[in-house]
Amino acid sequence: MPDILEQLESLRPHEQRVAMATLVGARGGSPRPLGAKLFVGEGGRLVGSVSIGGCVDARVVEHGERLLRADRSERVTVSVDDAEALELGLTCGAEFDLLIEPISLDEGDPTVRAYASAVRISRGGRTAFVVTTLTGGAARHTVHPDAYDGPQDGVFVERIAPADPVVLVGASDVAAALARQARALGLRVIVVDGRERYATRDRFSTADEVLVGMPSDLVRPFLVPGAFIVLTAHEYKYELPILREALRAPVRFVGMLAGRKRADAVRALLRDEGLSAEEVGRLHSPIGLDIGGREPEEIALSIAAQLVAVREGKSIARRSQ
Amino acid sequence: MTLLYGVTVLEHFRRPRNQRALERPTVSREGYNALCGDRVRIELEVEGATIRAAAFTANACAICTASASLLTERVNGSAIEDAARISDDDVVMGLEADLPAARLPCAILPVRTLRDALAELRPRT
Repeated sequence: MPDILEQLESLRPHEQRVAMATLVGARGGSPRPLGAKLFVGEGGRLVGSVSIGGCVDARVVEHGERLLRADRSERVTVSVDDAEALELGLTCGAEFDLLIEPISLDEGDPTVRAYASAVRISRGGRTAFVVTTLTGGAARHTVHPDAYDGPQDGVFVERIAPADPVVLVGASDVAAALARQARALGLRVIVVDGRERYATRDRFSTADEVLVGMPSDLVRPFLVPGAFIVLTAHEYKYELPILREALRAPVRFVGMLAGRKRADAVRALLRDEGLSAEEVGRLHSPIGLDIGGREPEEIALSIAAQLVAVREGKSIARRSQ
Repeated sequence: MTLLYGVTVLEHFRRPRNQRALERPTVSREGYNALCGDRVRIELEVEGATIRAAAFTANACAICTASASLLTERVNGSAIEDAARISDDDVVMGLEADLPAARLPCAILPVRTLRDALAELRPRT
């Protein structure tokens, strides 16, 4: 889930102008959240989506190409009312409102500047808002990082929040795979290990940070609300010092890669050390959904799926081993 | 928890002495075993030629943690000179365990880190 700056960066070598379609309203259910974007390049490249593909995105592409040629912005409503699909019962009957704007990919474009500013604020750990006027001619974007206090008439507001951190302790193959997957899911990935040979940029090229040192010290600054702490070290020397603190911290999730027997032994040690039953009960171990895989990519996928479920507030079946 | 390494190791791993960070250490040194990933930090508060307080932080195995616990217990309140004379063998014997050769680096990591800390201290004394 690249942020908008990363999406624009991926287009920049190939395109000079793009139509940016933003989902600003939906009726009848939408598979993507409001604010989802689809970029249609002048040269034909497509990045992102406003639905899960199919007929909606295809129509948005047509509108985007038309508005690029006309060089103007427009609010467009796309209805899923294709007669054949209706007859076959293969339509969800939804309606999508989109704001489609031609933008230039250079840094001087006001829309690019507004999003760049908002994303930089969010990368610095604060929430930013991009406010887009929907009335009148061309849409105008303004960033209000602090002052914004709720929806207003005639505007569309996008909240650009810092990515939640996922701290992977133990630079194993499972962690390497999970680092890639978690980054793609929009999490900020921090890899921690005490071993320089494992926690390298070569092995974790997509991670936001790769930290080597005393793992419990390195994890401490990330014990914040919203954080996911994932222990992939399979080493009690790292697990116990980190769990002592993480299970008492206001983090969103603490999980440990272990079989059931080993996980129970770690829980017993933590109880012996004085952690309460409630604190020990916060530990998710074995970690991951029960999808049956045994390879590092498969185990990582099961963990990544659990992180998504936790983020979305879903209750799920966990791995049995 | 296995008793493979004896009751002393187990006791000092489960109830480590001086496992904390000092508020104002005179010297702090971190040592690690590159391959296994054991990490230990030794902190000393020194007054004149005496170690007033010794403490450690470890993300380390039971042997290394127990060794750091025993070591800090031993040097607390001792003369710097005496602490500098503690040998690798002293530490290994103090663990009262029949350690395989492969685990000796775990046992002596704390004392080597202590020596590094004392060496840093020397020019100041």
